[in-house]
Amino acid sequence: MKRLNRDAITALLLLILCGVFFWKTFEIREVPFSEMGSEIWPRFVLIALAILSLVYLFRSVTLARPETEPFSWSRWIRTYQNAIICFVMFLIFVLALPHLGMLVAGILFVFLTQSIIGGFTPRLLLMHAAVAVLAVGGMWSIFTFALRVVLPAGELFS
Amino acid sequence: MIFENLLNAADAVFALNNLMLMALGVLAGLIAGSIPGFTITMAVVLALPFTFGMSPIEGLSTMLGVYVGGLTGGMFASILIGIPGTPSAIATTFDGFPMSRNGRPGLALGLGLWASFFGGIISAIVLVFLAPTLAAIGLEFGPWDYFMLVCFALTIAASLSEGALIKGLIAGVFGLLVSSVGEDHINGAARFTFGFDTLGAGFAFLPVLIGLFAFSQLLNDMSDTATAKKPMIEGQHKAVKMEHRQAIALNFLNWLTVLRSSLIGLFIGLLPAAGSSISNILAYDQTKKASKTPEAFGTGVPQGLIASESSNNATAGGALIMMMALGIPGDAVTAVMLGALTIHNIAPSPTFITTQPVLAYGIMVAYFLANFMTLAMTSGALRVFLLVTRIPLYILGVVILLYCAIGVFTLNNTTFDIWTLLVFGVLGFVMVKNGFPLTPMVLGVVLGPLAELNLSRSLSTSDDLTLFFVRPWALFFIVMALFSVFFPLYQSASKAGKRWAAFYGVGFMACTSVPLMMMEGGFRTGMGAVLLVLAIWLTINKLRAPKAQNPTST
Repeated sequence: MKRLNRDAITALLLLILCGVFFWKTFEIREVPFSEMGSEIWPRFVLIALAILSLVYLFRSVTLARPETEPFSWSRWIRTYQNAIICFVMFLIFVLALPHLGMLVAGILFVFLTQSIIGGFTPRLLLMHAAVAVLAVGGMWSIFTFALRVVLPAGELFS
Repeated sequence: MIFENLLNAADAVFALNNLMLMALGVLAGLIAGSIPGFTITMAVVLALPFTFGMSPIEGLSTMLGVYVGGLTGGMFASILIGIPGTPSAIATTFDGFPMSRNGRPGLALGLGLWASFFGGIISAIVLVFLAPTLAAIGLEFGPWDYFMLVCFALTIAASLSEGALIKGLIAGVFGLLVSSVGEDHINGAARFTFGFDTLGAGFAFLPVLIGLFAFSQLLNDMSDTATAKKPMIEGQHKAVKMEHRQAIALNFLNWLTVLRSSLIGLFIGLLPAAGSSISNILAYDQTKKASKTPEAFGTGVPQGLIASESSNNATAGGALIMMMALGIPGDAVTAVMLGALTIHNIAPSPTFITTQPVLAYGIMVAYFLANFMTLAMTSGALRVFLLVTRIPLYILGVVILLYCAIGVFTLNNTTFDIWTLLVFGVLGFVMVKNGFPLTPMVLGVVLGPLAELNLSRSLSTSDDLTLFFVRPWALFFIVMALFSVFFPLYQSASKAGKRWAAFYGVGFMACTSVPLMMMEGGFRTGMGAVLLVLAIWLTINKLRAPKAQNPTST
């Protein structure tokens, strides 16, 4: 277990993924009179991926690696704090999109994400609000009025 | 014929509307390319949604404007602050920044600008004449050859992933798997939908691409809280007046450097998935080796700057040749353009230039024009660059994240594409953090359907599987693929001074000569024979060399 590093875990996950997808290839509908069944290509790809993953696994457990510090959740969160904030806020934005629409959800996403990352001082809040309204409103106007693209209006406003 | 097509295409490209769109594209490219951390690919994918409502020629001209502008814009930050604006301007920093620090920022910028221009123009001329020729060769390809060409494209993309061949190959094959999700293009059977109807159509290519390149790149740039909160460039930088006259004279004086570096850039552009991030360093290295004063490099010599800038702009021409002639993207940006063409129901293949002459030659004319526009607009863009880089990264990054969402939504007017963007954004971020390169994966996604189609065609045409190995072009690509797979091994063996590494090049020449000699036509057979003779002669010389050297070395 001591040798199970991050690369080895990734390789194992890839092998599991190959297994699940290979199993799923048996559910692909058979098409009569076709020269090459629809399952052939994915199986070919999955076999190649599995072989490469095995090589990756072998290399990750056999090659000597430099000593690394033990894993710590707090350090991990500190390192990826901004990325996590962006992911979570973007996820909330996509969930809110059908209800609030692109304009409102977009302005809220930009304003809140910038404030969470940048800070909540009155000056910064004012700046984030101005950036959110101008940047999102401007882009929304270009798409809606100039390019005639219908962006989601949101259940609450339609 | 070529000139007639060029004139017809010029009509469409020089339309006022198109010129305005191109100018906007060039300006956007110059600014985006100049911002450290923002890549040209990101700029092009962000420009893409705006092109959906345009005609194909307008859309591609705009994207070419962004592309060429971005390649030149990368030098601003490299020369003025010593941080490469894009990976394609890394080598520009080596001599551009010292020259700027020595009190000649105007000359450094002028040299970079004119070297970019000359590199772009040389590349555009070659593009006009080589693309139709290469397309004519492409017409000889059967499905077996095409399938092997895709395999070669994936292996070379993986082998160019620094020190991560296996990870590069995994990323490429994973891209193939992603492209097989949804209805199969040949039989129409649903694959890997896991019960979700929305997956029936598969993942749209562009949300995948924007997620992998733009979304994950932004999150990487913003990862460090302290850096994200600071302005991208600190301190006061005044707009610099470029010294055009002296820069032109120096470029002409160093014409050999311009020519050699442009040809290196072109060659790298021709290789699938190898882009300007490689060519600028390679050209710089070759110029340094060819110089009588290599020790002066890094102190602000004009040749170093000229080599980097002319090669990175010339790469675009090579990448466009591959895209238009064979439908294989020469780099990540041309992969985006390939996606843009498919939105307009145009699939580049060897017949593209003959069936869509106005569009194909329009791309060439637009590429020419983009170089001139970049030349004209650089001074103005430099002022905007100094303003934009005072904005903290997180402000710009979050706004661009939302622009990505709006952009992908406009593709099919469905929120599923925004989900795709998020999922592949996360995946791209995780992949980069774990050392997996993204370019092979994107290439896998783009080329997956092409590979499957050609595999299916070859199996329907003949049961003989040996055709994958005995047809001259298929064999040629197998040789290329094998040597590209072993290239990283060769590099490390060469550094370690292992004996066999000395024979890698001659081995490659000898192996390549076999399919060449099998091909029809006297020229290629002759070229194969010459390569073989050369390989034998070099091998004999190399075998003899140690005996002659050993007594003196010991």
